[in-house]
Amino acid sequence: MRGTVSLTDIYAKYHEQVQFLPIYIREAHPVDGWWFGGNLFTKKLMKTLAPKVAMDVHDPQTIEQRRQVAGTCETSLSYGVGTYVDEMDDAVNKSYAAWPTRLYLIDTDGVVVYAAGLGPYDFHPGKLEKAIENHL
Amino acid sequence: MMMTKITNRKTATRWQKKYDVQAPKVGDIAPDFSLLDANGQNPVRLSDFRHKKPVALIFGSFT
Repeated sequence: MRGTVSLTDIYAKYHEQVQFLPIYIREAHPVDGWWFGGNLFTKKLMKTLAPKVAMDVHDPQTIEQRRQVAGTCETSLSYGVGTYVDEMDDAVNKSYAAWPTRLYLIDTDGVVVYAAGLGPYDFHPGKLEKAIENHL
Repeated sequence: MMMTKITNRKTATRWQKKYDVQAPKVGDIAPDFSLLDANGQNPVRLSDFRHKKPVALIFGSFT
């Protein structure tokens, strides 16, 4: 999580005015993919930058597995808001180029008013908060 | 279903470049979708919130 503003803070502040939809997509660094847990440097880096992320998750192969991991993730990260789960064809992930993480703000006409760049480098909750402030 | 394997920075960058060109930009209509929650229930559709509330989309995973 980058910066001093967390998504939890933003949700707490704006959830009555903005609908928050956390969407669980395919894993970023699963054990059976681009795993960071096998390298001491990346393991330490992840624990420092994102202490709540898991290091021991395999990429779910079925929608049931995906929902299970999403539920565990939801509980662990404690955003306080229900998580929705992308289907195994990654359709929503692909249409938003969302992997590994990305933020958007959509207005009431269905138009994009904030589109973060590709994650993780442009994952800045503070910028989303600014966009919300400017939009409301 | 066979997913494209992302095993290192090179394959990750290739995936992102492939899909980012079609991702919505500011001013574009956001692609509509319908998804279920982590219990496989409570369907939500992005367009359900049209003319009601702005929507913050937060994409991510556990790792």
